[in-house]
Amino acid sequence: MKIQVKNTFFRKVGNHKASIAVLAMLVAMLFFPTNFYTRFNIFDLLNSASILLVLAFGITFVIIAGGIDLSIGGIMVVSGIVTIKLMEFTPIWVSIVGGLCSGVLIGLVNGYLVVYQKTEPFIITLGMGLLLTGLAQQLTDAHPIAAPNPKFMLMANGFLFGVIPHLVLIMLATLFIAYSVLRYTQFGRNCYAIGGDYEVAEYSGISVRKIKTMTYVICGFAAALGGILLSSKLNSGSSVYGETTALTVISAVVVGGTSLAGGMGGIPQTAMGLLVFGIMENAMNMLRINPYIQIILRGVVIVTILCLDSYSRKKKREDV
Amino acid sequence: MSGKLRMRHNPFDVLGEYLVIVAIALLVVVTIFVEPKFLSPGNMTNIMRQFGPLIMVALGMTFVIIGGFIDLSVAGIMSLVAVVTLSLIEPLGQVPALLIGLLLGAACGYLNSILILLSGAITQAEGLFITYGMSVLYGGVALVYTGGVTDHMSYISRDYSLFTAIGTGTVGIFSVSFLIFLVALAALYVFHEKTYLGRTINLTGGNKTAARLSGISINKSITIIYTISGLMTALGAIVLFARVTTASPVLGKNFETNAILSVVVGGTSLSGGNGNVIRTVLGTMLVILLANCMNLLGVSVFMQNVMKGAILILAIWLDNRKEH
Repeated sequence: MKIQVKNTFFRKVGNHKASIAVLAMLVAMLFFPTNFYTRFNIFDLLNSASILLVLAFGITFVIIAGGIDLSIGGIMVVSGIVTIKLMEFTPIWVSIVGGLCSGVLIGLVNGYLVVYQKTEPFIITLGMGLLLTGLAQQLTDAHPIAAPNPKFMLMANGFLFGVIPHLVLIMLATLFIAYSVLRYTQFGRNCYAIGGDYEVAEYSGISVRKIKTMTYVICGFAAALGGILLSSKLNSGSSVYGETTALTVISAVVVGGTSLAGGMGGIPQTAMGLLVFGIMENAMNMLRINPYIQIILRGVVIVTILCLDSYSRKKKREDV
Repeated sequence: MSGKLRMRHNPFDVLGEYLVIVAIALLVVVTIFVEPKFLSPGNMTNIMRQFGPLIMVALGMTFVIIGGFIDLSVAGIMSLVAVVTLSLIEPLGQVPALLIGLLLGAACGYLNSILILLSGAITQAEGLFITYGMSVLYGGVALVYTGGVTDHMSYISRDYSLFTAIGTGTVGIFSVSFLIFLVALAALYVFHEKTYLGRTINLTGGNKTAARLSGISINKSITIIYTISGLMTALGAIVLFARVTTASPVLGKNFETNAILSVVVGGTSLSGGNGNVIRTVLGTMLVILLANCMNLLGVSVFMQNVMKGAILILAIWLDNRKEH
């Protein structure tokens, strides 16, 4: 009986491990005399996490529906570069729409290959990521290219009322939309159903293929949005940023509690998972930890959380 | 050789089986016509040397993929082994340094398998992300170990002729790294085809539950595939840094993708349970020749990445069409 109680307690703790980690780090930082708790730093923290958060919200749809997309880093850099390239001869808003369209298109191709051709999602998107990185290098000759229109920069670098960064506002808007769609629409509920059990969902009359493809399109759109924001933030397009993006974002999503097996998790969890890494990086910088040691610590956190995720699934299999 | 057991009716399937060889032949013929320099002895030695590091990593990766998993940690292991081995030549001498390097690679692979077994990861995706995390970790350790500095072999005051031989030596028309590859290939081939443990890898990759129920220790096969992958990666790292005479803490970058590409292009199925080392040799040959031909033809490195991605997608797509 006692073991039973212990078990549920651990399970409850396990479900909120990201929130607990965030809370623990926030409390810990109270005891160090750093500039962590200043308005500037808090906004800076959110600001630098915003782009990855936008990407993470998109990929959450894919992961919940039981898929994976390793090409988001590639989509991010390509759409940023496409936007800047288009800006040379079109108004800003047209080029932004063009950049978003490129992301949607790549998402559609990914969705087609994975869902309709039944290929293994992570390896096909790994190939797609490689292809897109090469494409981005070819488009820019592997040099950063500057945006021709100075107004483009204001999009991500501006402040509302001189305090709140635009990036954070855009991130919050995406958070709200993604949360509402996933939680309160039929489409969102169907994503969970597909991820939980693909065949059962199909037999219950859900058009599984269309919905699963749609998740890749959403992911492509979000990655493109992130890429455009990144280009705007840096006022340039470059092929070098996307290399580890996909794996970083996916690790953060899993840390938040969205399982790679699909069918569980959500947008708030994803936000928490990404904050774990955001706060960790910020705090470690504040504490002046050697950047190479930071890399090791990040590896340790990723491995620990992913192993725990696998372990909880193993326990569940054994319970059944 | 499970391929022989299946009945073949569709000529497309038969072609698919030998598609790599056809592609290699086609590539060689086209390149010779466009750029006769391809056949020059200098270029041949060059190809053999480029072949060295990648084929080692790809051979190790073959076992992991046949076993139904994937190993992204090779990038991290490669960097770590290279910097540690190079730094140990000075205090310990070249032979101990070489042995410790190989042992370190095997140990890293073993550690991966321990984590995978402890956490009970059974799907390819779980293995992929855990080994990715380990790759970050190993890469971080390599950075801390060196302080981010690239080490040069020429700074060593002691004798390092062994590494020079591995990197640039030749026996007749063959480079030494090519001979090392032949020995490794023979050993791995015999291990895979003729030993009990080697055969269990295919069964583990094919169906884990069925393998367990028929009394095969899948834990043992998972341990062995990751350890082999680590060991072969270490060998690849040593061959690579001996050739370029420097060991940077980011030496292994992109090797994981290229190794997976070589294995898959060779025709080893990513769903596991199927494939062999010979196919990987053909796949690696195609990847290396493709890079060499595109270099000779003046295709930019960036376009080569695009081609690589496209080939990876195409290979998986064709592989899938065969199965469904």
